[in-house]
Amino acid sequence: MRSRWWLMAVSLAASGSQAQTNGWNMPVGVTDVSSDIYGLHMTIFWICVVIGLVVFGAMFYSLFRYRHSKGAKAAHFHEHTSVEVLWTAIPILILVGMAVPATATLKNMYDSSDAELDVMITGQQWRWRYEYLGEDVAFTSNMSTPRTQISGEETRGEHYLLEVDEPLVLPINRKVRFLMTSDDVIHSWWVPDLAVKQDTIPGFINENWVKINEPGIYRGQCAELCGIDHGFMPVVVHAVEEEEFDGWLAERKEAAEQEAMGVDREWAMDELVERGESVYQSICSSCHQAEGQGSPPAFPALANNEQLINDVDWHLDRVVNGVSGAAMPAFRSTLNPVEIAAVVTYTRNAWGNDTGDVVQPSAVAELIAQ
Amino acid sequence: MWSVVKSVLAALLGVQSNQKREEDFSSGRPAAYFVTGVVITLLFVLMLVFLAMFAAR
Ligand code: HEC
Ligand SMILES: [Cu+2]
Repeated sequence: MRSRWWLMAVSLAASGSQAQTNGWNMPVGVTDVSSDIYGLHMTIFWICVVIGLVVFGAMFYSLFRYRHSKGAKAAHFHEHTSVEVLWTAIPILILVGMAVPATATLKNMYDSSDAELDVMITGQQWRWRYEYLGEDVAFTSNMSTPRTQISGEETRGEHYLLEVDEPLVLPINRKVRFLMTSDDVIHSWWVPDLAVKQDTIPGFINENWVKINEPGIYRGQCAELCGIDHGFMPVVVHAVEEEEFDGWLAERKEAAEQEAMGVDREWAMDELVERGESVYQSICSSCHQAEGQGSPPAFPALANNEQLINDVDWHLDRVVNGVSGAAMPAFRSTLNPVEIAAVVTYTRNAWGNDTGDVVQPSAVAELIAQ
Repeated sequence: MWSVVKSVLAALLGVQSNQKREEDFSSGRPAAYFVTGVVITLLFVLMLVFLAMFAAR
């Protein structure tokens, strides 16, 4: 704690009336850790500025004062032990002086103990999946910027490439622990205002944590090149008051229960098609394209695909289990049975695939359970 | 002995006077410098380990 005060005193003195986020500097952020990091950054920045001024000042002054045209003569001596010791010792002291507060901050950053809420964050090509552990609430968060804005057919919105269909909702004033991993390649979950930038690595679980001080909407991006749509997997965090969060979570839990019940009932075709279209556009269209035309040879067309039209079981199996060794992911654990049934029904009845087939969620649930 | 330790410490810091360097090279056995060097390096490493353990508490 003492080093924290020391750090704050130095950074306050050093930064004076620093502007908040003006685009030129890193943000102060909305957590204690983020302002510690900002303070460290400014402290070290000003130390560097002072060193630079002293060293270059002395150098330029000597160059000017003892210039050749004024008849200056160079001194010829081989060594000066005490000066050498001095200019070795001073940097050591400066480095150790910077290491003390930096270590204190790092220790704090990595201490994710005593969290009140655990959220699992999973990177997927190309979206984020959030799971509130122990709460039965989970969803994927997809970029919601329309493709027409990206291709330039439409003017760009205010949060171009930084908006999602379902943001991660977090409470303020509570310590939230993140468990971070990936389903496919390395991604990195980065939100500057929360001072979190953590790689998500398949087969590993990294930990991090936040305790947000102010409600608001905080935006970030995937920060590890992860494939063709790397630029299209933004992060949006909604930080809300605690009561609002509890209400939201209860609502989502109820919705999840409703959804689970939806597996058992018989669904009508147009219900499934409507649901399936939205699943398709947010999840599948990045590879199989908006009209199911694919982009062969890498991504096969689903429209007018003979094998698909002739064989429901094969079609369903591809979507549930994926194609190992190819880029087609298995959706058995990332989409729920209703969504899988919906997207399969939709693809069997869209773009001229007029099979008339209806795949029921209950059948999908059975297949997944096998 | 003390002169050897002083030279090794000077090497650790990276600063040594030419006069002392010439003395070192004209007198004393090399083995003494090697052994002292290894021991002091080990002590330095142990000190860092101890510091890190202390900081991690
Ligand atoms: C990351 C890119 C990607 C995404 C996202 C994706 N697919 Fe695929 N899909 C592929 C690739 C690649 C293949 C070809 C696999 C192979 O080599 O057989 C494929 C094959 C298929 C096939 C079999 C077609 C055939 O002719 O082999 C179906 C059906 C299918 N995908 C449906 C879907 C559905 C439904 C979704 C959305 C829930 C989806 N895919 C999402 C890449 C993707
Ligand atoms: Cu990514």
